[in-house]
Order: sequence, then structure tokens, then C-alpha cells
Amino acid sequence: MASAHRLKAARAPWGVAPTGLLLLGAIYCLFPVFWVLIAATKSPAELFSTSTLSFGTGFLDNVTQLFAYRDGVFWLWAANTLLYAGGGALLSTAVSAVSGYTLAKYRFRGRNLIFNLLIGGILVPSVVLAIPQYLLFSKVGLADTYWAVLLPQILHPYSIYLARVYATAAIPDSLLEAGRIDGAGEGRLMYQVAIPLMVPGMVTIFLFQFVAIWNNFLLPFIMLGDDGKFPLTVGLFTLLQSGANQPSLYNLILTGAFLSLIPLIALFLTMQRYWKTDLSSGAVK
Amino acid sequence: MRANRLGAALAAVLTATLASCGSSEPAASPEAAQSPAAAATGPVKLTYWTWAPNMDKIVAAWNQEHPDIQVTVSKQAGGDDAAAKFLTAAKAGNPPDLVQAEYQHLPSFVAADAVADLKAETASIAGEFAEGLWGLVTLGTEGVYGIPQDSGPMMLFYREDLFDKYGLSVPKTWQEYADAARALRKKDPKAYLGTFSSKDPGAFTGLAQQAGAQWWSISGESWKVNIADEPTKKVADYWGGLVKEGVIDDMPYFTPEWNKALNDGRLLTWPSAVWAPGVLESNAPKAKGKWAVAPLPQWNAGESFSGFWGGSSTAVSSKTPNKAAATQFATWLNTDPAALDLLVKEAAIYPASTKAQSALGQAPGYFSNQPDFWQQAATVSAGARGFTFGPNVGVTYNTFKDAFDKALQNKTAFSGAVQAMQDATVADMRKSGFQLAS
Amino acid sequence: MRRSGRGAWPYLFLTPAMVLFTLFLAVPIGYTVWLATRRTKVSGLGLGRGARREVSVGFDNFSAALSDAELWHGWLRVLGYGALVLVVMLGLALLFALLLDSARVRLARFSRIAIFLPYAVPGVAATLLWGFLYLPSLSPIRDVLEIDFLGASTVTYSMANVAVWGGTGFNMLVLYTALRAIPRDLYEAARLDGASEIQIAVRVKIPMLTPAIILTTVFSIIATIQVFTEPSTLRPLTNTISSTWSPLMKVYRDAFVTGDLYSAAATSIVIAAISLVLSFGFLRVVRNRAFGEG
Repeated sequence: MASAHRLKAARAPWGVAPTGLLLLGAIYCLFPVFWVLIAATKSPAELFSTSTLSFGTGFLDNVTQLFAYRDGVFWLWAANTLLYAGGGALLSTAVSAVSGYTLAKYRFRGRNLIFNLLIGGILVPSVVLAIPQYLLFSKVGLADTYWAVLLPQILHPYSIYLARVYATAAIPDSLLEAGRIDGAGEGRLMYQVAIPLMVPGMVTIFLFQFVAIWNNFLLPFIMLGDDGKFPLTVGLFTLLQSGANQPSLYNLILTGAFLSLIPLIALFLTMQRYWKTDLSSGAVK
Repeated sequence: MRANRLGAALAAVLTATLASCGSSEPAASPEAAQSPAAAATGPVKLTYWTWAPNMDKIVAAWNQEHPDIQVTVSKQAGGDDAAAKFLTAAKAGNPPDLVQAEYQHLPSFVAADAVADLKAETASIAGEFAEGLWGLVTLGTEGVYGIPQDSGPMMLFYREDLFDKYGLSVPKTWQEYADAARALRKKDPKAYLGTFSSKDPGAFTGLAQQAGAQWWSISGESWKVNIADEPTKKVADYWGGLVKEGVIDDMPYFTPEWNKALNDGRLLTWPSAVWAPGVLESNAPKAKGKWAVAPLPQWNAGESFSGFWGGSSTAVSSKTPNKAAATQFATWLNTDPAALDLLVKEAAIYPASTKAQSALGQAPGYFSNQPDFWQQAATVSAGARGFTFGPNVGVTYNTFKDAFDKALQNKTAFSGAVQAMQDATVADMRKSGFQLAS
Repeated sequence: MRRSGRGAWPYLFLTPAMVLFTLFLAVPIGYTVWLATRRTKVSGLGLGRGARREVSVGFDNFSAALSDAELWHGWLRVLGYGALVLVVMLGLALLFALLLDSARVRLARFSRIAIFLPYAVPGVAATLLWGFLYLPSLSPIRDVLEIDFLGASTVTYSMANVAVWGGTGFNMLVLYTALRAIPRDLYEAARLDGASEIQIAVRVKIPMLTPAIILTTVFSIIATIQVFTEPSTLRPLTNTISSTWSPLMKVYRDAFVTGDLYSAAATSIVIAAISLVLSFGFLRVVRNRAFGEG
């Protein structure tokens, strides 16, 4: 921080306005989350009878009830979700990084065509794809398996785009050329030079994919029949739509929704530190 | 290892998709090798999609007694999405062996050839169900497409304490209900006697049934669609008039808003089905013992008609290779005294079986103030009118929601919404090629 | 970068993506197109075996989708909604990204996670949440403000709010990541020239960000065209949203509620085509800067 005092001087005209603006945004974003936290503390009796912004007394009961629901199926759903989101995001990040790097740093016939094709996938809504994907998976006997949820979520146009943009900016051509002069093969160049430079971008991609898969509802809903393979979203949905003669278990849903946010927050906090890296110089701020 | 398996899977997908390009329907497995259960291959394994609570416990009792037929429960979400999911699975060729089917969805399952005809296997048990209920699984044809599990005869639930407080008497006719609604508004402008929900076609269908509506019927080889009949229009305009007058609320059922109104004592009645106690208990636990039940108000004094809201059957998939075993289980589940006892206790359903209905003893805890709860239910159930659902209830129900929403918003007559339901249903059936009687 | 490629290497590197693309996008899309040219025909009562078969109907489903007045009304509604969401969401995302990137913001980490957090809330849950907050008798907001959030004239804004709430953090992070990739010495140079932070933002950062801004816009255009979760989750709470409020809701209704997979397939292809036209139209307008020398 060589420019510390210059920064201080520049701060004067605007004062705390930027911080204030950001905090306003943060409050807007946090308020409803805070509301779920409150709702999760309410017993079924309190949920619709006490003031919306006062804490309830049923949090522990809700949690115990949720964990005991059908012999702890909540944990199974959580583990499944972790598998889908974690495994899917890892594979997706790998594929995106390799593709993005290739599209950014190589010139070859069909480059733009391939890029546009891959990106074009975003034009087709996932609601549309779920049923054909299901019918096709059924034909090869892979419906209602873990693969059926994992495989279709690996390729993600946005991630490939991000990886390409990131690779363009973060990997200096000179470095690659130097490597080639030293006689490194293309595979080694990617593995040892390109990928390490792309780590911060890959972290972002991983996070996006993880969250996207974590929150995906329709694909697992269609693909899976066996409730032992459900992820949290589909599992909690069975609590919401528990049949015409059964009330929705609002207190369990709200508690489940709140608990399922915690791993995401933890993940996000862990990933934060990767962003500290200053890309241009490779130095740590 | 993992990579290898992944590679193998990918290769399999690729070759199979290429191979199957252009072939229309999934190659159905050769017609149901109906081998008598379990030759040398060990027990028959069946999967069962249901959303009834604690069904796994009930099935465990079966599995213990029948080591040769093992059933696995897969708990699904209920509602319209469940029907869509089953139909998609059937189309793709890998549905479960058994499925819980709501009565209104059964015809669309039959039309998609997704459920099996159990006529031969169920000849001996037909007499265990009331005629109206049995009609819901035969659709008025020769076939039998499911075994009735639970039913939802409609009754009037009301806040006894608040009726006393405001000096209202329990309405015997819909005319009296309307008068009571007006009287209540004068006494307490914050409270409503009831609400009309534009989101629950099932409730409206039940009320129309009570008035004598027959939306679909089969005559010979063609369907007759008569949704905009006189009884239905009468029911629609009755509620439309009350809403317009401002004496009945228009908030939908089952929303947080509705829960809140129940809790605050701002809604005094709910024309609902026999399963209402469970809903009330969980949504308004504090009002325990304050609700009471009475027969639905009648259109003409002295009558005792009702309709059905909800209820479901157990159907067997047409694609199952173990039809006999599946039917055996479905029969046990819905007619065996021990199973019915478990269904009532664990899954909290109102059984379809006549015998089981009359065997119900103690009133639900929420209605402990009304010891004759089940007797009332049985009486009402006997007066419930028969009804046939058509093959495209999805279209009809969806149009109900859109058309009644619009009528509420634009304050137009409800009978117009009923006409919209009729038109949409007929248009859809025409488009698909169903034979329609004029 | 030299024009002489590196032989087969780039193709090898792209193989996984292309295989996945073929299997999970191209083939299903092809299947959808094929489904869109078909329809079931029933005979008689349509009950029992063999009463129902699939027939080819050519472009009937497409012409039905294109001549459906309700679908075009849906497009109009989505256009209004989309314009609102795009401007507000991307405006906020850009503002927050720039603020985070400027060195003199306190509590940056906290704000960053707070603003991104809504993205971690599943769309259905987010809408349900806001739904609770919109309902007259439950909402703490309603205690203060006397607005009917779910009325005919306000419901679009209420839905846009949910989308903005959920999407700002994501776009902010995309833009922020792009900002972090800009060499810092560019700013130093501008600072030495006496430029203020705002001037640096407007004259250096935003131009450098243009490709990222364009692409987030394109992706957001596509996402808003596909709006589905917000209206369909709010629908049970209000009578102002019909089952065909947005084009994708009509697809869902056809496929899942009324069991007409074929119309759903045709409508979805129309949606994809319109998305294509709109996003390429937008790219044309901004002169293809994003796809240029990537």
C-alpha cells in the first residue's frame, strides 16, 4: 500500500458515501434472510400468530423434529446435495477451465463456431430440456441414478464464458511462449502454467456452479423417483406438497431452508480469501 | 476407477442415443411376463410412489408378513406435479409398480395407458366400497383402474365459540349461509363467514357435485362434457354474488394469509372435507376444541347431499412385470382390516372402505368436543353424489384458476368463468381427437 | 498468438465440453424439435390400450404457438418486466462492483458476502420469502407502508424486486471478477495524472469492463425472457398472475399441468428463437465488442 496517504486525501470529497451505499445494499439483501432466521425459530403455533419480526421459541424443537423426520432423511438429502453440488461443480470447473483456456489462447479452425455453440446453450431454458433429457436417460437405463442429476449439469455456458474471459486477462501470452521455447508440451503448459494462473477465476466458477446445482429443482425432480437419492430442494418440496389432506410442514421447511443456507455461507467465506490475489502482478495485496 | 466408469457411462449414452434416434416410443418391455411371483429369482420387488405420511411404516408390516413380495416406498410430493411426474415416467418406460393416484387424475392415467386394468383381480372386493367411490376408479366403464384408498366427503366446519359470540345459528341451507354471512359483517366488519378460493378447483368441484353437477359422462363410445350445467352455474353465481356483495372474502385457501386469518378468528367457517381436522390442527393449533362440524348447507331444505373433495386410490402401473403381486399388495393395503387400521392411525386418512369407515371410533383430537365426528362423517359420506372425471381434468382445473382469478379481479360473473372451463375443456378434447357427443 | 495452431491440441482440450454439449444439449434439443412436430391422437373414448397414438403434424404446433394471443400478451408482460429488471439489477451490480473495487471502502468483505447471499437462496424459496413479506397480514413492511404489493398494478414491480434481489449479487461478482483482472498499473497511471476515483471508474474501468457488461446484459436478457420461478411461485398468493403470465409458464403449464408435451416443445423452441434474435440484436447494437478479440 504505497499510496496510502494519497488515498486518504482522495477520500475527502466523497467521505463515507461508498461504504454507506454498499451497506444499504447489504441490508436490502440480508433483510429477508434475517426473516427466515426468525421464522425458523417459531413453533407451528407461533408461525402465524405472533408478530413477524419477533423471535419464536421453537427453534430447537423444529431442528429436532426435522432431523427426526422419517428417521433422519434430512441428512441423506443433505449428503446427496453435497455430492451433486460438490461433484458437479468440480467437474464443471475443470471442463470450463480447460475449454475457456483453449478458446482464449489458441487459434484454430472452428474456434468461434465452437465458442458460439457452447455459449448458445444458454438460450434453451432448462425447463424445456428436463423432459427430453429424462426421456433420453430412461432409454439408456440411467434415469433415477446419481449420474442422471450429475452429468447434465457439468456443462455450463456461463462458466465457459467466464473462464475464457479470465484466461484472456490472466495468462500472459509471453509466459506461454517462453514455456514453448523451453520445450514444454501443450499439456504441460496448461497444467503447470495456465491452470495455476486461473485459480481465482476457477474459484468463482466453482462457487457459481455449486450454488446453481445446489438450488436446481426441476432436473432432480424429474430425474429421480427414489426418495433416497433426492437432494434437499426436492426433499423439502415433498414437505411443502405433502398431499391434499396433509398440511404443509411450514416450520420444517423454513428450518430446512435456513439450515441449508449455512453450508453455502461457510463455503463462501472459505472461498473469499482466494480473491485477495492481485492478478496482474501475482502479488498478494 | 471413477473416470473409467464415467467414460463407460458416457459411451453407453452416446451409442444408445444414436441408436434410438428416430424411434418413436421407448421400446416397451415385452408384455408383462406375468410369472407367478418369485420363481427361483428371490422375492418380487415392487416400488410404490406415494405421499401419504408414514406409508413406509404401513408397508413394513406388509413386508414382514410377505417375504416373497417386498415393497419399497418412495415418498413423493403430492399434488398436480406428482401426476405429471408419474405420466412422464410412464411415457419414458420406467414408472414405479404402484402409484397413489388422486381420483381426478386417474382418467388421464388411463388415457395415457399408464395404469393397468384390475377388473379380474378386484371382482371380489368391489362390494367393500360405496358405489360413488367405486365409480371413481371405474370411470363408468367396464374396467377397474385402481383401488380406492381414501375419500373426502365434504362437510361444514365452523367456529362454535364465535357462532355463539355473534349469535349465529348453524346454516342448514345455502340461503341461511348467505344470511349469516351478511349478519356477521354487520356485527364485526373484520370477520368473514367464509372465503371463496379461486385456487382450489377441487373444493369447487365438490360443491358443484353437491348441487348435482355431472361434468363428464360416457355414453357409448363418446364423452359428454357438461361443465356449464345448471347446478354448476348456480353454485358459481351464488359465491360470485356473495363475493361481489363483500360479505364473503376472496382469499385463497392454504396460503399463509389464510392460516393467519384462521388463527386470528377472522374466518368462521370452512366448507371442507373430512380431512380438514389435520389441516386445522397444524395451522391453527390454538383453536383446538373450538371448531365443530355440521353437514354442508343444502340447496333445498330437507335434503342431505354432499360432494367429494380430494381422495385417492392405489393404481398399478401398466408397465409392471409383476401385476399380480402389485394388485395383491394394493388390495391388502385398502381392504385388510389391519392395514386399514394402520392407514387411519399412521397416515391419518379417511378410509374409502365402508367397513373401515364405520369402525372409526374416537374423534380426532382436535375435535374432541365432538365425539360423534366419525358418525357424522359416515352419514355425510352416504349422501355424497357420484361423479365422473374426464381425461383432461388438468386443463379444466387450470382454466378454473385462471378464469376465476380473472372474474375476481374484473368483478365479472362467476358463471362466465364456468363457461370458460367448459370451452377450454371441449377445445382440448377436440384437439386430441376424443369422440364428443354433442 | 500465432495463426499456426497447435495441431490437434485445442480440439483435444475441447473434447470433454463438446461431448457433453452433444449429449446433454444437442441431442435433447433435437429431440425437442422432433417432439414439436408431433401430437397424440386418440380415438373414441381414448381409454385403454391402443386408443392413443403419436402422429406427425408438421408445423401445426409451431403455428399454434405463434398465433396464440395469450403467448404474445405474455411476451409483452415479460418485456416490461425484463426492462425493469435489467436496468435496476445491472445498474446496481455495476455500482456495487465498482464500489467494492475502489480501495477506500470499509466493510467490503461483509458487503460482498451479504449482497451475494441472496443468490444462494433457491429461487422458489426466495420468492416464497418475499411472498410472505408482501402479504398484507404477515408483512412487517405492510405495517409501515400502505401498499398492496400483489395488486394488478404493482405485482410486476414486486416480481422484479425478487429478481433484482436474487440476481444483483451474481452479476456484481461477475463484474467484480472482471475488474480484478484489469492490470492495476492502469489506475496508477490515471491517478498520477490527477484523476479522481470517479473519473477512473468512468474513464478507465467501465470501458475496460465493456465486454463483461455486454455479456452480463445478454445473459440477463435471456434469463428474464425465461422468467418462470417468480411468477409461478407467487401465483398461489394472488389472483393477478395467470398460468400463462410469462411464455415459459405456458411451456410449464402445457408440459406439466395439461400434459401436452408437444405444444410445450414447440413453444419452447419459439422462446429459444426469440431469445436468440433479441440477444444477437443486442450484440449487433453494441457492435459485437464482446465476441471480438476475446
